[in-house]
Amino acid sequence: MGTAPAQLFPEFLVDTFGLPGVLGEVVASLVGAAVVANIILAFSGVAGPWAKRKITAAFTDRIAVDRIGPYGLLIIPAAAVQLLAKELIIPEGVDRPTWDIAPILLPASAMLGFSVIPMGQIGPLNLHLADPEVGLALVFAFASIASVSLVMAGYASNNKYSLLGGLRAVAQNLAYEIPLIVTAMSVVIFAGTLQISGVVGAQTETLVTIAGFDIPAWYAFVNPFAFVLFLTANMAEIGRNPFDIPEAPTEIVAGYQTEYSSAYFVLFYLGEFVHIFLGGAILSVVFLGGASGPGPESISFIWFVVKVWGFFLFTQWARAAIPRVRIDQLIEIGWKGMLVLSFANLVLTAVIVGVIA
Amino acid sequence: MSLERPDTVDDGAVERTPDELEALLGDLVVDRDDHLNAPGFVIRPDTVQETLSILKEQAGYDHLSVVSAQEYENRYESIYHLKKFDDPTQEVSVVVPADKDDPVSESAEPVFRTADWHEREAYDLIGIEYDDHPDLRRILLPETWQGHPLSMDYDLDRPQIATLPEHANPLEDHHKDAESDTMFLNIGPHHPATHGVLHLKTTLDGEQVVDVEPDIGYLHRSEEQMAQSGTYRHQIMPYPDRWDYISAGLLNEWAYARAAEDLADIEVPEYAQVIRTMGAEMCRIAAHMLALATFALDINGDFTATFMYAINDRERVQNLLEDLTGQRLMFNYFRLGGVVWDLPEPREEFFSKTRDFLDQLPESVEEYHNLITSNEVFQMRTIDTGVLPPEVAKNYGATGPVARGSGVDYDLRRDDPYGYYDELDWDVVTEEGCDNFSRLLVRMREVEESAKIIGQCVDLLEDWPEDERNIQANVPRTLRPDDDTEIYRAVEGAKGELGIYIRADGTDKPARFKIRSPCFSNLQTLPEMANGEYIPDVVAALGSLDIVLGEVDR
Repeated sequence: MGTAPAQLFPEFLVDTFGLPGVLGEVVASLVGAAVVANIILAFSGVAGPWAKRKITAAFTDRIAVDRIGPYGLLIIPAAAVQLLAKELIIPEGVDRPTWDIAPILLPASAMLGFSVIPMGQIGPLNLHLADPEVGLALVFAFASIASVSLVMAGYASNNKYSLLGGLRAVAQNLAYEIPLIVTAMSVVIFAGTLQISGVVGAQTETLVTIAGFDIPAWYAFVNPFAFVLFLTANMAEIGRNPFDIPEAPTEIVAGYQTEYSSAYFVLFYLGEFVHIFLGGAILSVVFLGGASGPGPESISFIWFVVKVWGFFLFTQWARAAIPRVRIDQLIEIGWKGMLVLSFANLVLTAVIVGVIA
Repeated sequence: MSLERPDTVDDGAVERTPDELEALLGDLVVDRDDHLNAPGFVIRPDTVQETLSILKEQAGYDHLSVVSAQEYENRYESIYHLKKFDDPTQEVSVVVPADKDDPVSESAEPVFRTADWHEREAYDLIGIEYDDHPDLRRILLPETWQGHPLSMDYDLDRPQIATLPEHANPLEDHHKDAESDTMFLNIGPHHPATHGVLHLKTTLDGEQVVDVEPDIGYLHRSEEQMAQSGTYRHQIMPYPDRWDYISAGLLNEWAYARAAEDLADIEVPEYAQVIRTMGAEMCRIAAHMLALATFALDINGDFTATFMYAINDRERVQNLLEDLTGQRLMFNYFRLGGVVWDLPEPREEFFSKTRDFLDQLPESVEEYHNLITSNEVFQMRTIDTGVLPPEVAKNYGATGPVARGSGVDYDLRRDDPYGYYDELDWDVVTEEGCDNFSRLLVRMREVEESAKIIGQCVDLLEDWPEDERNIQANVPRTLRPDDDTEIYRAVEGAKGELGIYIRADGTDKPARFKIRSPCFSNLQTLPEMANGEYIPDVVAALGSLDIVLGEVDR
């Protein structure tokens, strides 16, 4: 195992400000959660109205927003005002309150996932809210609540396109959640723990040294096959090309989102981005050594940001370049391909780890 | 040969004289009414199926181009313009008069599937009823419309009410059992994948399409009526630009130019023909680029880079067209007897710009092959989906890239030459796959062929002696073609056979102006491709048909 993890963020707050008793712990947890949530919201705020446009534009030979502010950055507040100021249209016959809960559930579930993600350190601050023993299982559980939200939205919208989108979301999640988690289990076998700090810690050792460079034992290097499998399943999990089937605007007109406008739309939009970032965070925790990287431990938050945004960039690249598969083809890839491969990977890993250990 | 054995089924390659055809039809022919382009046989309204099946089975006329209907002072008339896919210069018109008071005529639908929509349109606009038609409803106008707009007693001032009916699931009852049920879904008229205002009445079983029925007419702008109210010389030419408005303007203008020039016996100077050929092929590239771009949009999703790349290339050719015609979309560049003005000065600059475009084009096409056609996911999506067998394509009168993607070797530029095409070196592209992928490949390869044509035209124009640059023939200010002359002429538009039927009545305006839109016939094949497939395949099939609603609805 690597170095002992630094103090968790709420504990740090309790110690620093001397907050007393249970009440102090609650306050410290809330403050910590608010800080982490705001970081994620800031990511999404930059990604949604600005970075996504700029990235897509770069892929498609365009310029995108550049009129307001430097590099068009002021589009972020402008878009926020514009989106929130729009009228919320509530279609006839929607199933309330299900219709209202769904857009809250999606960003909330993704946000919850970040409670167990170690986001690295800024100076003495360790941005890690909680480190339960079953952390990895917990984060997958949180992430998959998202599909419940999609089904709720699709079903409650009283729109056939939304219904199709909701049904597709379920089919897709069933087909990909299992390979995703089975592949993650192969990593757990290596690390010998479900605790996220343990999984990250196991990746800090040096795998090989090439020309003076220490290549860390990130599981992406230890088991590249599992990494590719996980990455593919992750793309399906977050519903991006080639697996943006539940939305598929050119087929089913954005699916479950069709009937949402104004603040509810913002929540869905936000939820999707938080979900992509959570996908990137899980990927970096499980395969890319968490927040670790060259340089002192105290700036490791930067590495976390780089990894998560790298994944975001990857999803946008896929969006610009890869065609969308058909729903039946996706189910086939999921159940007949990925599932088999992921179990093969799991068994092989178990055998190898068993022989070596 | 077939002269001795007129009853045997032959391959249709044999050309028969009009008299031989009349002998073949025997008693069915009650009169002759020859058109400028083809012999015309008048038959009784209850012998349509018999006549057409003899012509189809025994004389090889396997392509029903269009059904033109019209009303005279004393009768109604439907004209079936027949051709051969193997040789479209062999044409025959079957003229079917119908009673003025009770216009009923036998439907040709059992012989030619394509007659379904064409006869519905004739019923809708003229008011002829077709016996034995499987589904004789209005097609362009709403079901509640009163009167038939192109008939003589149509009351223009009558207020019309179009209701908004609830669309019912047509299969609701006989597709319902304990385990499964169908769902009716309106795709369009406002939907990202319908490429315009098209409405698909779709019945789904889960994700699978049980039945799809295109509902058209949302963009009907009375183009035929407008052409009938304009004079031949100048007032009609601007309209064709607005049929297939996806930058295929010059191709459309040529359809009118060809029909009217043949009708009024106008000879176009060779120099003008070369310019026309070059301009038309530029339009074809622009149109095919947009087809490719939107198809990528349908398959890849709405953030695909391919879309913008193809739009960029279209932009380049669009700039050339702007230099040539002064316009970007509604060119109005052709005139009867030539074109409106010569190439832009300085000519060298235009030639070098054009050559730059042509030089860079192979690179772009290569990039599209890298981006989409060689992508495994793309192939998975498009190969063997939206299958249209060649026989079905012919039966529906499909033409253009849709037919050529099904291996039907039919291109009017080669088979019924006009302009300068027969002097140039190029090939007709066909693919045998019959699927969405083949139709895309045909378009991509046709872009390269068009580039070849443009290159040769540029070489020709560059070396053309300065004193022989005659851009327009001498055409009278007012054209009055002889009374009761009729002609049907077609050109190879971006989407297929774009034909015009004109009947002259001695005035300076056409008495009947009928547009044979390739998209109209091509779109009719959609249910054949889509039924039994998944929703994404319907979207892909529709995209691969490359329809423009402006041309479908006219």
